[in-house]
Amino acid sequence: MNRRQGRRQQAGFTLIELLTALGIFLIVCGAAFTLLASSQQRARTESQLLTSFQEARLALDQIVRDVNDAGYPPPSYSDGVPSHSASTPFAWYPNYTIPTPCAVGINCDPPSDFDIIIETNPNRQDPSSKVQWIRYKLDPTTSTLMRGAADKTSGGEPTVETADKLAPLVQNVVNNSSPAQIAQYQAIYPGMFPSGNPVPIFSYTCDKTSGSVTQIVSCPLAGADNIPANIRDVTVTLIVASPLPDATTGQPRLVQLVGRGRRINPNQ
Amino acid sequence: MWARNTIRKRRREAGIALLISIFVLLLISVVAIALIVSSGTESALAGNYRSSAGVYYAALSGLEEARGRLLARNPNAFKITNPTGFLPAPGTPLNIGDAYYVINPVPGETVAPWDVGTSTTYPDLEFGVEFASSGYSQPPNSSPSANSVWNRSPLNSLNVPGPLYKWVRINAVSEKSLNLDVDHDNLANSTTPLYYDGTLSRFSNSSLAGPQVLEITSLATLPNGSQKLVQYLVVPFPVALPPFLGALTLSGSPGADPVFHAPANNNGYAVKGDGWDCNGNPAGPPVSAINIYGDYPGSSSGSAVNGVVGGIRPPSTSPPRTNYTGQGGAPDVEYLNAFQTPSQLNALAQTIIQSADAVVPAGSAATQTSFMNSLNMSPSNMLTVVSNGDLDLSHWGNTGYGLLLVTGNFTMDPDNGWRGVILVIGQGKINNTDNNGSREIDGAVFVAKTNDTSGVALPDPNLEEASVIFDDIMEGTGIRYSSCWIQKAQPIDSYRVLSFHEIPQP
Repeated sequence: MNRRQGRRQQAGFTLIELLTALGIFLIVCGAAFTLLASSQQRARTESQLLTSFQEARLALDQIVRDVNDAGYPPPSYSDGVPSHSASTPFAWYPNYTIPTPCAVGINCDPPSDFDIIIETNPNRQDPSSKVQWIRYKLDPTTSTLMRGAADKTSGGEPTVETADKLAPLVQNVVNNSSPAQIAQYQAIYPGMFPSGNPVPIFSYTCDKTSGSVTQIVSCPLAGADNIPANIRDVTVTLIVASPLPDATTGQPRLVQLVGRGRRINPNQ
Repeated sequence: MWARNTIRKRRREAGIALLISIFVLLLISVVAIALIVSSGTESALAGNYRSSAGVYYAALSGLEEARGRLLARNPNAFKITNPTGFLPAPGTPLNIGDAYYVINPVPGETVAPWDVGTSTTYPDLEFGVEFASSGYSQPPNSSPSANSVWNRSPLNSLNVPGPLYKWVRINAVSEKSLNLDVDHDNLANSTTPLYYDGTLSRFSNSSLAGPQVLEITSLATLPNGSQKLVQYLVVPFPVALPPFLGALTLSGSPGADPVFHAPANNNGYAVKGDGWDCNGNPAGPPVSAINIYGDYPGSSSGSAVNGVVGGIRPPSTSPPRTNYTGQGGAPDVEYLNAFQTPSQLNALAQTIIQSADAVVPAGSAATQTSFMNSLNMSPSNMLTVVSNGDLDLSHWGNTGYGLLLVTGNFTMDPDNGWRGVILVIGQGKINNTDNNGSREIDGAVFVAKTNDTSGVALPDPNLEEASVIFDDIMEGTGIRYSSCWIQKAQPIDSYRVLSFHEIPQP
């Protein structure tokens, strides 16, 4: 009798019990997989952000190095061959070939907020090397910072020579986004776009000389000394967005990097 | 049978909780590891950037140390630190193929850049890159070396780690090492050092064009292996002296004409504006014998010119007046409408005082002349000597080399000579007490009164009368204009950077 009763108690699950268990299992599994999917997405955006960050960092390094070297070898090296020495640390447009310098921050483009041409020979020890125009320019349609280097030529126009040499360096550079987009970024990253304006990638200080005293001031304040050859510091600000928005919030992810290059070579 | 099956079934299902928990744990672990990896990459990136910036500034600090210590007035100048004679004496050019190293080892390590075969002692492989085509595939083993300021007293006793540059090389450059044809002869000269002409801003193969160009190269290495090599070309840059438009320049202004009294009984006394080189041979364009320096509007300078000419004994057809030759007819006393204000000249005097190699103590002629003797001036040891007050060199009996600045009265003596520049700015007075001697001054003498007798600066813009009064019976041969000696005497204000670049590392 006892044995029978014991057997009955062990008789198994009812259908309802099974369905309940299955239901719970499905819910738990579903939750786990949703979590997995979302964290995979998250990992993907994080790694994209990291890639953007790394791209921006390498680019910043390169820009700062080129600016440090700008104007090498200086005009006093001139042996009559234009490609053997830099005539100015930073080339300009318009009237480079005439040459009539423009005023930085007023009518130069480049050097301007999103465009710069550095004149330097990065590899002087190579006898066949030439002075190059190294250009960094933000392409407004693709939001890509481009870099291109062309050999300096006699009578050549730096902007024209470098135009077909530009290759993508950093993607998704959002410094010069539309006002609507900037407003969106500002909501998430307050302070990254002061007053809701585009952030210049390149900002400049110039040597201002009065008598025997040389001061370093923001270029538009340098008066008659505000010419590309007098640029001393170039502050580089890169704001880069990851290609995809944040998986969970759907909002854009940005990183900002700031660096400074200083011209050491003399300008004459 | 049925019961047994149930039991077996139950047993099989018993581990599901374990499986689920292992699965969930795995999931969490993957997420956690991804986060750790990503933050690890990010800090590695930041670390790389930090060491790249750090090693750049370490290398730059090496360059700046060498550039600063080339200046004689630096408290750690190579000239006054061990080893003595680390660099050739001033005026002696460095040879192509020689290298001079400042080494900066951290405790326990050896830095021997000249030993290119040993990879652990920071070999200088860049030297070969620059000079192999000139026949020097490596620096001389071993090359002269000096310790960095971080390995010298007092910094070495502080427990402060200095910048991690390893060595700084100082050497001469040639057309070939720079890949440059400075004289347009289509030949890259490999053995002639380059010089720099500051007025024309260009390089030259000729030592007459200006001072020698020096190359400074610095290597910095961090413990993590980050490395940077940066390079300067520098050249000594002189203090801007007033223009020497005459062998003797005298200041004045309307109503305060310069006073000049030549030794009337000495037919051999001459002030000559004809150019001479450093060996006494005629060279270069002539200037005036005596130039009057000041603001004389219109033709008001006539009385000043006549006053100076009147100080030389007539008649004009015989010595000494015919001894005053230059770009114009003898006696060549001219006003060329060039001047600076008292405050400008006083500022210049201050600059020279700051870059002086020696300051003469106040005192008697005996004190001051014995100090001058202790300086051992010579053509290869040209100094900037300042007397901040009166200077009396009576009975010195020697020749000085370089630049002499006197802010008070200058009592000279015909048995003293000078090669270079004499500036008497302040009281603007020269006279003599002793009359015997036969030495001369080669270069230029500039006398300007910028202060009143109590030493207070005169109001701008007018200089007042310079006064040069010699005894009638004074001997000596006078003053000869020499642009060569003037150039050699110019005090060095700083070593100017002609170029900078970072040498890409493999």
